Amino acid sequence: MKNIRFLIALWKANLQAAMEFRSAFLTQVIFMMINNGAYFMFWVLFFDKFNEVQGWGLRDMMLLYGIAATAWGVAAYFFGHFTTLAEVIAHGRLDYYLSLPKPVLLHVLASKSLGSGMGDIIYGIGSFIISGYLTPDGILRFALSVFTGVCIFISFLTIIQSLSFWLGNTVALSQIALSAVLTFSLYPSVLFNTTTKFVLLTIVPAALIGSVPAEFVRSFTWQSLLQISTGAAVFLVLAVTIFRAGLRKYESGSAIQVEV
Amino acid sequence: MRKYLYIATMQVINNIAYPGDFLGRSISIGIFLFIFAGLWGTTFRIVGTESINGLTFANMMWYLMMAETIELGRPRTNRIISEQVKNGEVAYILNKPYNFLLYHFSFGLGDSLLRVGMNIAVGVLVAWLLAGPPPSLLGWGMALVTLIGAWILHFCMMALIGLAAFLVEETNSFELIYQKLVFILGGMLLPLDMFPEWLQGIARLLPFPYMMYAPARLFVKPDVELFWQMLSAQWMWVAALVLVLAIAYRRSEKVLTVNGG
Repeated sequence: MKNIRFLIALWKANLQAAMEFRSAFLTQVIFMMINNGAYFMFWVLFFDKFNEVQGWGLRDMMLLYGIAATAWGVAAYFFGHFTTLAEVIAHGRLDYYLSLPKPVLLHVLASKSLGSGMGDIIYGIGSFIISGYLTPDGILRFALSVFTGVCIFISFLTIIQSLSFWLGNTVALSQIALSAVLTFSLYPSVLFNTTTKFVLLTIVPAALIGSVPAEFVRSFTWQSLLQISTGAAVFLVLAVTIFRAGLRKYESGSAIQVEV
Repeated sequence: MRKYLYIATMQVINNIAYPGDFLGRSISIGIFLFIFAGLWGTTFRIVGTESINGLTFANMMWYLMMAETIELGRPRTNRIISEQVKNGEVAYILNKPYNFLLYHFSFGLGDSLLRVGMNIAVGVLVAWLLAGPPPSLLGWGMALVTLIGAWILHFCMMALIGLAAFLVEETNSFELIYQKLVFILGGMLLPLDMFPEWLQGIARLLPFPYMMYAPARLFVKPDVELFWQMLSAQWMWVAALVLVLAIAYRRSEKVLTVNGG
């Protein structure tokens, strides 16, 4: 409860900071929506030529984009440091968070807000609505899918970036991991062979963010529910455990005077 | 002229200092090709045909390899210029005895040479594994010639976006939109041959296909007539954009204000 109040206070502060530069914030939001729409044009052209691929049509791709974009947007807007944690660790900027009596990981992640994330959220929800799966139980399944997607996005990248505690600067590795999980999450896993599907469900959990939740929203199955909820829980526990283990190894050149 | 060659060479040397970082970045091309192999392999299997709109599966993969190489190797001039404008560093560069735009041209060239080289090396390896041997030597030749014009067109657009920082604070959004226009109308994600006729017509009137589609398409299906057609349209756009860039630069200089220093 205490952590939730803390999170809400942080989000309020982030919003106030964004509102200082209202037009820049709005520009980011609008341009991100246009960006996503332009990217989706590929699928419009693709399905104009081929009606469907392995049971996936334009509507299903809208749904998949809706889930993945909303999950990414929520993660980026509310926990913006999840893509730059490696830099924070490698540059010794964790000192600032360590000096405060709050959960360190949560504080780092939520202390930055990417305005473009709001554009992804609006686009994602819009895409979900247009996809035609807007029924009461469809909305519930969509909300659950977004929630697990957020957990997996953040946890996976936290795990990769926490390697900075042991390996030093892993910014390049984090960028590759980010690119892989984001790109693979926007394609249906039916396109890939069994080995790749296995990788996308475990090591690079992109299928758990995109295609499995999309299948789950299309039609409820216990198997897909179990996959996304177990995936989210396992990655979350792993992320917290690895980050805490890394924190015990953390060393810096006392950058605290710079941050404060 | 020699000073610009030095700038390009220095940038190549700077990048060689971090080979691991470069190899890491090139892995992205492998990821993209792997995804496209899944998508197009499945599509060709479902359609049950050897070629779609004249392109085979192997053509598609090598086309995408070349397109990704160009995209991942294009100069990031816009980010550098806009950063220099925002932090005031531009004042120091304008003082130096070289042309601002030619400085960035050389800098971007040095940066891109290694990126493109690395992307081709990794891309060829992955595409060969996924789709068989590469296209003929004629295809390589036509692609290399049109790559020069494509790179200059990219540079002009990136520099124009960067110069926008003289007028507006943030230019990242412009880059995103430009990138998507190249993705779609430039034929990066889907060759123009797959577009509906009306959209092909519109795309060909714009500069984007000459930044991406021309080298990639000529690479996989070299055609002498198409080559001259593409090359002339490409250089017409180069001339137009260089002119626009020169005018934009002159105007930007006039609105520059540097405080303190």
